[in-house]
Amino acid sequence: MSSTEAPERFEYLQSLVTEFQDTDSEEAKEQVLANLANFAYDPKNLEYLRELQVPDLFLDMLTEENENFVEFGMGGLCNLSMDPDCREVILQSGGISLVTNCLSNRREETVLSAVTTLMNLATPATRSQISEPGILQCMLRFSLAESPRLRNLAAVFLQDCCSEEQVRQAQQQMEGRQTAVGIPLPKE
Amino acid sequence: MAVPVSNRSACWSAPEVYKHHEQQRVCISRPKYREGRKAKAVKVYTINLESRYLMVQGVPAIGVMTELIQLCALYGVVEEYRPLDEYPAEEFTEVYLVKFQKLTSARAAKRNMDEKSFYGGVLHVCYVPEYETVEDTRLKLQDRRSYIARAARSRAKQREKTEAAQESSVSSEAPTSSDKIPASRDVTSKIESTGEALSLSHYSEFPPLPLPPREQCSFRQKSHRRLVPTEDKMGTLHNAFFNVEQWQADSLSSNPTTSNRKQGTEGRLGPNPGSGVRFIPRNTNLESRKRKVEESGEPAANVSGENEPLIGPKLPEPAKLDMEDESLNTTVGLIRSTMKQVGSVPDLKRVEKKAKPRRRI
Repeated sequence: MSSTEAPERFEYLQSLVTEFQDTDSEEAKEQVLANLANFAYDPKNLEYLRELQVPDLFLDMLTEENENFVEFGMGGLCNLSMDPDCREVILQSGGISLVTNCLSNRREETVLSAVTTLMNLATPATRSQISEPGILQCMLRFSLAESPRLRNLAAVFLQDCCSEEQVRQAQQQMEGRQTAVGIPLPKE
Repeated sequence: MAVPVSNRSACWSAPEVYKHHEQQRVCISRPKYREGRKAKAVKVYTINLESRYLMVQGVPAIGVMTELIQLCALYGVVEEYRPLDEYPAEEFTEVYLVKFQKLTSARAAKRNMDEKSFYGGVLHVCYVPEYETVEDTRLKLQDRRSYIARAARSRAKQREKTEAAQESSVSSEAPTSSDKIPASRDVTSKIESTGEALSLSHYSEFPPLPLPPREQCSFRQKSHRRLVPTEDKMGTLHNAFFNVEQWQADSLSSNPTTSNRKQGTEGRLGPNPGSGVRFIPRNTNLESRKRKVEESGEPAANVSGENEPLIGPKLPEPAKLDMEDESLNTTVGLIRSTMKQVGSVPDLKRVEKKAKPRRRI
């Protein structure tokens, strides 16, 4: 149905996905990935991207070694997850834990995308998973960060995605023991 | 936990330079089909990078703050602004912080002002989300989410509509031009490129005129109508649609005159009917024609001036129905055909004429 509506758009996106899969060039992959992630910003493309299983493509990128792949994939998910239908797809593919792992990434942009994505993934059904103590403690640390963007996002998360009671508990636990979530990995 | 509170007051405090303020290197290794109109770096844009706070760098330090804010106000309501004196700036330039009421305004302003010349300087405009308060950030995300949700709903509605239309076997007119364009970034870059032309022609030399803020859709329409003319000018940009027609009229009707002029004495016999044309130097004409041929990639068609791909409404045939009298019309026809004959032969004649004096010498 969609491919009769705007076949050109669909075909173009399809050719991007094909190039991504076929090319051996890391650089080309990065470019295509960034393209796809940017297309995910426009709601017109969301349906086609879903059809092309781009949400899963982005999720795959989160465990790549290339930091650009991770950043672009995470950015793409940040864009996609605004849409309710895409959100379902991401959740079904086990997106929460994959995205949570990105909270420890060294790049701020990746972390910001991860926080926003987690907020987007919060539904009544997933709330308990997203307001899990490990994540809340991570957000508490972020809310003390130097970067105002990270600080603000974490503050929004703590105010919107969990109860005050949960925050208090997480704080208490934090005084006891630390979790590793959200601590940047050491640079090689 | 005291930090988020002090946050609010820190909003307008001393700025820091963040990495995302810098212009990244433009990517030059893209294959053709992935290339947009404008050279861009490899970067992913998310809502986190956007903001209704803009930073404008590269403003010449000649006291043009009012003009800058007037320019900004073309794209939407400016809530607050101030110079960022503490921010590291290039010599003789200033940096300003501008807070728009709406994110969409900031987006339009960034799109149209970035890398544009302004009183002799080149502006660099970027989002500065680090100036947001917690509440700003929250609202920004909420707005984005509800926008996407609305888009999803209207998409569903449209699908129902088109399905219903298909059932009744009536071809619907709904999704046309915008859906045919393959890529949204292309759309934006198209908007950017035409917007560029618009803003350039409006702002580079004159003080900014108070145009109403433009919606994206109007840009899109414009971009379709103006398509070529913005590009194939001879150094100057003609911003009005009228000029395009005029220019076409010139190039169409002046082709015969120039070819006549080339042939010397014979060409002067009679003024070409129907060409109430401004004088255009032949060089310019040839140059623009050459450029056009190069651009369109289909030679010879343009040289005749008749098979030219027309942009915009067709012009009336020059002077065919002008005379309102049969005999006059036949006379005009006769004159024209003689002119054509005269125009096609004399090249040979001239060669002969030139040859004769040589023999004498």
